[in-house]
Amino acid sequence: MHIACRNLHYTYPGADSPVFSNLDWSIEGPGFFALFGLSGTGKSTLARLISGELSPMQGDIDIPNARRVLYTHNAERIPGWNTVGAHLRSVTPASKTSLLTTILKDYGMEVHLESRFSGLSMGQKNRINLARYLVQEFDLLIADEVLANVDEPTRNHILERLKILFPQKTFIYISHNALEVARFSQTIHVLPHGSTAGTNKIHKITGLDRQEGMKTTPEELVQERVYAILRSAASTSEPRP
Amino acid sequence: MRTLKRLFQFISIYATALGLLWGVKIVYGFSDYLIPPPLEVLHVAGQNGLLYVKAVLDTLAVAIAGHMVAIVLATAVGLVGRLSTWPGNLTRTAAYNLQAYPIVAVAPIIFLFLGDGLASRLLIAAMICYFPLLLSFIGIFAKPVEEVEHFFRITGRINWRLELSIRTFENLDKITTVIVGSGTMALVGTIIAEFLAATNGIGYIIRKALYQSNLAKILVALFLIGLCSSLYLSLIETIGGRIKIRLYGHKAEYMIFCLPFVWHLLEAQVHTAVF
Repeated sequence: MHIACRNLHYTYPGADSPVFSNLDWSIEGPGFFALFGLSGTGKSTLARLISGELSPMQGDIDIPNARRVLYTHNAERIPGWNTVGAHLRSVTPASKTSLLTTILKDYGMEVHLESRFSGLSMGQKNRINLARYLVQEFDLLIADEVLANVDEPTRNHILERLKILFPQKTFIYISHNALEVARFSQTIHVLPHGSTAGTNKIHKITGLDRQEGMKTTPEELVQERVYAILRSAASTSEPRP
Repeated sequence: MRTLKRLFQFISIYATALGLLWGVKIVYGFSDYLIPPPLEVLHVAGQNGLLYVKAVLDTLAVAIAGHMVAIVLATAVGLVGRLSTWPGNLTRTAAYNLQAYPIVAVAPIIFLFLGDGLASRLLIAAMICYFPLLLSFIGIFAKPVEEVEHFFRITGRINWRLELSIRTFENLDKITTVIVGSGTMALVGTIIAEFLAATNGIGYIIRKALYQSNLAKILVALFLIGLCSSLYLSLIETIGGRIKIRLYGHKAEYMIFCLPFVWHLLEAQVHTAVF
């Protein structure tokens, strides 16, 4: 899968300055990619542009061969009139029932199926929300801070399992956790510190792409990537020609 | 418990108001003709109690019927008003402009066309509580609950029934409050209609008492109105509370108000049965 943005411009209605201006950027899937940046640099905006929730004011976003692009964020809730299990059953296609069972077991959520969503902890809510997206038909899933409230060991386990369960899919994982994206991503796409002229460049840093069962990566290497990510995030957009 | 609390609140307010009235009478030395003594009020209550209870129940029945008509109508029109297409825009504009006009002002025209019977009282009661309900329903039905609807929209599952279910469920507290508030307005509308021209109901009795300058009769009528109003409002609150408990707690039979949820539960059951 190939995702390409060319000459992308976007300004929110009523805003003084653009979020993106003249942005060229691409990703070559499948695989697990991260979108990293400080708050307000336009990660979620870019995700919503790619998923079609927003339309660019100028420029193109091409995603050939992608039948379905999904975008999820961590503030999502399921309807309160159903139990978690009833909701998941109602939104899971018949062909994905066994996948749902596997995911719920992996995420340690099978004991909470009779609960109401409002009765779950934030981390449990995050896991249930991600599970229902993973059992949909998709080619690209953009996950915006979807594991923000999940504890680190569980989060690491979930990310490792994602790579095993969906080797042919493309994931764009938005996170503020530099250590996590450094360890698990194939490439980290870093949005530099916002400028009033709008972001026009996204830096690419090679990640460590950790897989399940892989030997532990030396700490120095992880630290080096984390510093590179943070340095890149703190830099400003390219000056205009 | 809720009913008792409401009754207690009403009786406390009523007793305080009576106490103040009699206090003013003593301080300023008003005559018994202007402000009747407690015994006279009790005597009027004993003499006319049954007649007044029948009249207030008549008024309450018309108010409830008018309230129900207004709720059904506001829901139906609210569904059109939530649309972003031209029928929706037209409905919203019409609703916002019409609600600014005081319905009581057109009441005489209604009496001219429909006479002084049940139809006029019912129509005025319904119209008085219809617009506040409509504006609230349009607001609730038209505002997306993005955190819940997003999944259904991006996976192509959203439809108007689901949208309506989500928005109703998420605003259940607001809807209950609006319906309770409009219940009071329906009662007020009915009494005003009876006061203006009808030949039945407690409003008509107050009008007659006013012509006779009989404050004792008016005080008894006010007591019965307050009593019935408290009982009706606490009944609506109780129904709203029960619906919430059932929706949040169990899958169970719901009332007409919850039909969209029943629909989705049925869809889920069929989906589970088929797959």
